[in-house]
Formats: sequence, C-alpha cells, structure tokens
Amino acid sequence: MLRAEPLNRIQLLMLASETQDAALALARFGVFNPAPCTLDALEETPAVAYREAWLEAEARLSKLLEQCGDTGPLSIPADAAAPALADLQELNAWLKDVWVACLACHESEAQIAEARSHLDALEETLAKLERLNVDLAHLLRTDSLLAVNIGSLPATGLRRLTEALAMTGHLVSRFDQIGEQVFAVIAGERNRHEEVRGLLTQAGWRELPVPDELRIHPQAARTWMGQERTRLNTQSGAACQIMDGLRERFGPRLHEARLRLALARPLAEAALAGVRGKGGLAALSGWVPKRQMGALHDTLDEHFHGRYWLHVREPSAREVSDVPSLVRYPGWLKPFVPLVKSYGIPRYGEFDPALPFAFTYLLLFGAMFGDIGHGAVILLLAAALYRRIGRMAWVGIAAGAASMLFGLLYGSVFGYEDLIEPVWLSPLHDPIRVLTLAVAFGVGFISFTLLANAYNKGVAGRVAEALFDSSGLAGLLFYLGAIGLLASFAGAADVAQLAAMLAGLGILVVAAYKWHEARAGLGERILVTVIETLETAINLFSNTLSFMRVAAFSLNHVALALAVFTLASGLDAAGHGFTLVLGNIVIIMLEGAIVAIQALRLMYYEGFSRFFSGDGREFVPLRLASQHAKI
Amino acid sequence: MSAYLDTRVSLFAGRLWRDEALDALVGAPDETVADTLTQRGLSQLAAGFINPADRQDSRSLEQRIIAQILDETQVLIRPLCGDARSFLTFWTARFEISNVKTLLRSKLTGERPAAVLARLTPMGIFGRLDNQDLAHAEDVGELLRRLEAGPYASIVRPARRAFEQSRDPFILDAALDHGYYEGLTLYAHPLENAVGAPFRSLMANLIDRINLVWLLRYRFNYGLPPAQVYYLLVGSRYSLPGTRLQELAALDSLDAVLAALPLPLQTQLAGVTDIPSVFARMEHAAAGQALRVLRSRAPDIARAFAYLILRERDLRAIRAVLRGRHLGLAEADIRMALHRAPARAA
Repeated sequence: MLRAEPLNRIQLLMLASETQDAALALARFGVFNPAPCTLDALEETPAVAYREAWLEAEARLSKLLEQCGDTGPLSIPADAAAPALADLQELNAWLKDVWVACLACHESEAQIAEARSHLDALEETLAKLERLNVDLAHLLRTDSLLAVNIGSLPATGLRRLTEALAMTGHLVSRFDQIGEQVFAVIAGERNRHEEVRGLLTQAGWRELPVPDELRIHPQAARTWMGQERTRLNTQSGAACQIMDGLRERFGPRLHEARLRLALARPLAEAALAGVRGKGGLAALSGWVPKRQMGALHDTLDEHFHGRYWLHVREPSAREVSDVPSLVRYPGWLKPFVPLVKSYGIPRYGEFDPALPFAFTYLLLFGAMFGDIGHGAVILLLAAALYRRIGRMAWVGIAAGAASMLFGLLYGSVFGYEDLIEPVWLSPLHDPIRVLTLAVAFGVGFISFTLLANAYNKGVAGRVAEALFDSSGLAGLLFYLGAIGLLASFAGAADVAQLAAMLAGLGILVVAAYKWHEARAGLGERILVTVIETLETAINLFSNTLSFMRVAAFSLNHVALALAVFTLASGLDAAGHGFTLVLGNIVIIMLEGAIVAIQALRLMYYEGFSRFFSGDGREFVPLRLASQHAKI
Repeated sequence: MSAYLDTRVSLFAGRLWRDEALDALVGAPDETVADTLTQRGLSQLAAGFINPADRQDSRSLEQRIIAQILDETQVLIRPLCGDARSFLTFWTARFEISNVKTLLRSKLTGERPAAVLARLTPMGIFGRLDNQDLAHAEDVGELLRRLEAGPYASIVRPARRAFEQSRDPFILDAALDHGYYEGLTLYAHPLENAVGAPFRSLMANLIDRINLVWLLRYRFNYGLPPAQVYYLLVGSRYSLPGTRLQELAALDSLDAVLAALPLPLQTQLAGVTDIPSVFARMEHAAAGQALRVLRSRAPDIARAFAYLILRERDLRAIRAVLRGRHLGLAEADIRMALHRAPARAA
C-alpha cells in the first residue's frame, strides 16, 4: 500500500554568513521541504534582503536573456558555492547597468520609429500643401498673428482636444492617421498660444520638427527630409549595434550570472517559507524524510564540519495538517498521479489512492468501452502522441489495452459482435448479468472506500469517527448487512437473519453516534439524528446504483455500433464504407471521451469523496535549477 | 439567472450599514468591534482589527476593504454575461488602475520592488496585470511601455505620451483617471440603452459628481486653464453635458460655478462653500438614489450596481471609523469625517 513517507521536522541553526551555503547543500541533498521557522527567540528575517536581491537580479537577467537569446545549457559544478548577499547585490547592480544600457537602446529605437513616422507625415503634409498652392513660408511665419502647429496625438483624444481648443479660439484640422496616431494642424491666435501649451501636453501632442527650409522653399525641404532619413538610419544602426553586440560583449558574463543566480535560488526560495535569525545566527526549518536523517547529518558534516546545530523531532498531532506528503510512486504509476492530484493531495499519513485508482479506472474504462478495434485505435493514438503529451500518453495506452482486453472478453471488434466468440459474455445478449456484475462491483468498491475512510480517520486520531460514523466501520456493517438482506430477498444468498442483525446493529451504532455528536436542543437533536441516519442509508444505496452506468455504457457501446451499421446498410458500397469509418471515428471520439469522464466521475464522487479529503500539502523540496526530479 | 441575482442582491442588501449602526461602531468598546464586524460579514476587517502583532495576515485595512468588495463582486457577476458582466468587471478595474499609479509612483521615487509589491492591492480573479513583472521594471519609461503592451493599453498610451512631454506625475495620474472613466462610460453605454433609467441614473450621479469635483479641483485648487480642465473631464451625456462643462470651466470662482449649475444640482448643493462638501453632498444624493434603485424592482444589473456603490461607501465609512479609533481621535471628529446624513430611511 502506498503511504506518505514518515517525515521529521528539523531546525538547522548555523552561522548567518553560511545560510546560503546551507540552503544550497539542502537543495543538493534534494529532500528538504522548507517550512516557517518557529523559534520565537530568533526575531530577525536575515534572508529577506537576499531574496529581494535575487528576485531583482533574476528579473533583469531574464529580460537580458530575452534580448540576447539563450546562453547555452547550464551545468552547475558540484563544488560551486552560493553567492553571499554582497556578491548577489553586486551582480544585481551589474545586471542593472547592462539592462539600463539596453533599455536606452530600446528607448532610442522607439524614438527613431516615432521620428520616422513623423517624417512620413510631414512629407505627406508637404505634398498636400503643395497641391493646394499654399504659401508655406507665410503660413508658418513665426512673426505672424496666427500660430500654426503641425504634430500628432493619440486618436482617442482628438475629439476632446478639438472641443477644448475651440474654447480658446483654436482650430484643429486632421490630415492623416497612422495606427493609433492622428496627425493634425492646429491654428490659433499667437497671443493665446501659451494658454493651450498645458492642454497640448496633457493631450500627448507631439510637435513635428518643421525645418526653416520648409518655411522657405519646398524643394529644399525635400532635401532636408532626405538628410533627416539618413541620419535616423545611422542612429538606428548605431542603436542596433549595441543590442546586437550584447551577446558577444556580455555572453560569458551573463552565463556566469545565470550560474550564480541558480546557486542563490535555494536560499531565496527558502526565504519565502521564512528563515529566521538573530545576530550572527540563522535558522532554517523544514521537513526531511526520517530515513534520510543519516544522509542529512553526513551532508551537513561534510559542508560545515560541526559548525551547526540540528534539532530533529517527529511531527506533533496538532501539526499533522501542516506536514507535507511525500509519496514515492513506482514509475509505471506516475502517469496516473496527476489525475489523483487534480482532486487533491493526500494528507500526511492518509491512505494514498493512486494505486487503486489506476487499477479501478482502467477496469471501469475497459468494462464500459470494451472493443478490440476501438481499444487498439486509442492505444495507437496515445502512443503516437507520446512526444507531445509526455508520460500522460501511458494512461491512454493502458486504457486502450484495457479496452482491448474487455473487447476480447465481450467478443467485440469495431462494433461487430459476431467476428469472434466472446471469451466471457456479450453485454448485448446478457444485459441482466452485466447489470448485476456492475452493481456487485459497486458494492465492493464502496466497501473498500468505507474501509479506507476508517483507516484514514484512525490514522488521524479520530478513532470514534472511524468506528461509529456512517462512513466508518459501523456504516460498513450496516451497508454489508443491508446488501446481504437484499441478496437474500432476491434469492442470491441465504443469510437474511445474520444480515438483518448486522444491518440493524450498524444503523443503531450510526444513529447513536449522530445523537452523541449533535450539539443542539432535544427536538433538533432528534431531527438531525433521524435525517442524517436516513441520509446515510439513501446515499450508500444511490451510490451503489450509480455503478449501473458501467453496464449501461457497455450496452450503449454495442447500441451505437448497431446504429452505425443500420445507417450504413441502407447505402451503396462507397456510402457504406464511408459511414462505417465515420461512425467508428464518432464512437471512438465521442463515446471514448464520455466513458473516460464517467470513469473519472465514478472514481472522484463515489470513491474519493468518501475517504479522501484532498487537502494535504505536497512535498516541495528545495532544488537546484538544473536538478532532475529524484522523487 | 435574474431570480438568482435578484435574490443574491437582496440578501447582500441586508449587510448594508445604517447610520445608527455606524454611529454605534464609533462609540463601541474595543473588545466588541471585531464581533460587530464579523456579524456583518466583515470577518476580513475584523481580523485586521485584532492586535496586528497577533495576526498572520499582513494586509492593510485598505487592502482588506478592497478584498471584501472584490469577493462580493465575484459573487454578483457569477450569473451575468455579456455587457453586464463586462461592465461590473471593468468597475473593479479602478482598483487595478490604482495599483498602476502606485507602481508608477514607486518608479518615480525609486522604491524597492518588494516594498511596492507589498502595498499593491491583490486583485484575485479580477487581476489582469503581472505585478511581479511590472514592479521589476527599471524605470517609469520601461514600466509604461510594459503596461502599454497589456490589457490597459488604451488607458496607458495617452498617459505615456502626456508624461513623456512633461515628466509631471500629476499629468500622468490625471490621464490615467480620465482614461479609466472614459472607458467606464463606454462599457455603460449599451447597458443604459438596454436597462434604462435606473442604471442611467446611477451612472449619471457618478459621472456628474466626478466631473464637477474634478472641474472645481483642477480649476481652483491647481489653477489650470479652462481648456485643459475641460479636456480632463469625462465625456458626459448626463446632467452636465460637454457644452455645459465648457461654460462652467470658463467661470472664475466656485460660487460662480455653483450658481451656473442646472437647477436640480443647484438645489442639491445649496449652501455649499467648499469642494469636499460638494463631493459629500453629491455622494449622499447618489447614495440615496442607489438605495431607491436597490429597493425598487429595477433590472438585476442596476440593483447589483446600486448595491456595490452603497457597499463601497459603507466600507469607506467603516475604514474612517477604524482609522479614527486607531489614531485615538475623538468620537465627534470621526463623526464629522464620515460626512454621512443624520439617518437613512429604513
């Protein structure tokens, strides 16, 4: 049976100057899950500044790497030490300088792009004004009574700006739009121009640089614009050279920065949980598997030669809900683990349902979708998608294999029921047997969940609940008794007397427990006891009947295939073949998906919800960036 | 869906504070305040009232109040879709715009990223910005460009252009506020047509108040010229349309502006002599209208919006009370700061 590994709570006291090395050693150790330090005497948080510096440096480095591309694979030497706070801050300052230089290039590029678009607009303005035969020199004269500005602003603000400028007797004339930017001419009395300066700034107005040549001679203006374009191209080239040279100039140092930040990561991560300290001392707290304690001592001795103090204790009953769960799954089971964890993480000490989940899920899927042909298609499809979906493909491969196995038992190949003889039974020809088996499976499954719940409650120290509650052993007693009674009435067994006694005893114990647990007045207590006891019985039986869907889907599979064959039989040869292929694709895609969801639903709601709280914490060890999963 | 939201709003409406309850909170003994807050569904605020050294949650009072509003908005928008959902979602975006302003200020003052991150309001499911990434921007320029590549591009772009010209933080803040409320009126427009008068009345009260208070502040506190003041106001279709705002912005005193208001607003603001009183009087009138909408058989989105307006007002009042108590202010001073009417109709 899979269970979370027993863990110990450790508190590691060391010199504050060695905290980063301790965190690095624990990350290399691979099975240390940091937790908040509870030593009240240590009131300082010495790793906060370290984490801040690391976060800032990490942000800058990732922006720089975005600019200059990856610097190659990172290998962390086994003897490399973590940077001290001062080193980290120095590295952060260097990264800042480089990034600021990069940012200036960006800014310059953006300004050049904007200047180019302004130049385009100016050229267009010039062309329009030439066609209108307007005397530009006269229009743009600085000593005239009319002030004329040519520029751009965000398109969204144009209407508002026009209205606002109208209040000061100014006119706005839009002549072009590029993207979100509108180009316009603003004209108004020169003596009121100061009045609108703030308004134009607020509106994001950008003046087009109009050269003197434009004021005097349009032809000269064209020459000026050509020169301006060349200047911008040169500027842009210069800016790009800085950006292009980034990797050449700083590549090795950026790679070194990556390495140092990777080495600093463990303490920065541990700081999030809470590293405490006082004066020259610091403490790291967390959880370590009990069986790794010897290895932990060896690791610490090797690095710190006795310059540490390690306090080890077992988790107390009060903190069990805070203890992370570390379960080592066998490789073949790992693909199923995400499906269990999508419901929740098992609590520390709880029964881990991954193993029964994998078996039962495949069993349910195969039973509901038993077909050699369809199963083979699912298997091949999952195998083909292996590279894209990774190890989750194994769930598809196993489900396909289960479907093929049940196809063999049912004698079904691509919906044909008469190509091979069923090894066991044909759902279409023996539906009552299939229904009975499905319900019998449900009884077994629910009994198992009640046992698992009793175990979990017992482990958590809630013995009374494990023994007397409706989802504990008393509930199981009632359930098995009631099933025996029903089986006796149906003539399938002859245990009516014993079964009645068990059922009666079970429900009485459940009712007595509910009565004991109800904290209310007499009337309410009676009501709660009666209703909750009744609900226990109803729930158990409705959940059992829920398993009839397993039989229903196995029949549904045959019925869908029959429908496809009926449709195909009325068509000519080409239509027949096309309908069969399309029909089978629909069955695989649609029914396959529905059955996969139904099997999951049965597991989650009829199974997990009965014994699995799913509110545990995952064991998340400190790791080095390049470290591969050990667990 | 409508029945669900109506019922939900009606249930929430029971949480609103009457003036008497607020008054009682001002004078309540310290040991009963946390219980009172918890009983009214404000457990987050109650946790904040307990001795700060004892509590594990380090959020500020302001952050707790906003978290409460966001939690309730999340419940209210659950059954909504289309324009109504978009509107209420954008209504919460003003808290995120406030985060944007905090981030920008932090870059102007060179504040550490970790320090500013602690001051930002957690937006929960309404958050659309990567605060970690933004807080680590090198300077205002980088921050503005990163924001411009995000969901608030249309609000940030004009603000960036304006700021680049002037490097004036006031211009930046004003442009962001202006952009947000312009956006809100766009989101409200289809609902005003679909839902009608009750919703329109709530928007009218909100936008008219914002426009008038901004106009007075920009004109007489900051001394901006009329054209710039007008530019900074929100495009309005309500009691104070564009032409009226232009006329008001051109006037040269608070009294002249108040005298030139439409008659209903003049009546509402009779006797007012300063800008905070204008705000308080208009807010009180807006709350009265919101209460009427909440109690009416108005469409569900109008009632939900009315509830949120009232709830936020209540929570701000509670914040004032808790702050006042924390600072040891006299009860009379706290009551004066509340600017609430003597009592609301039950």
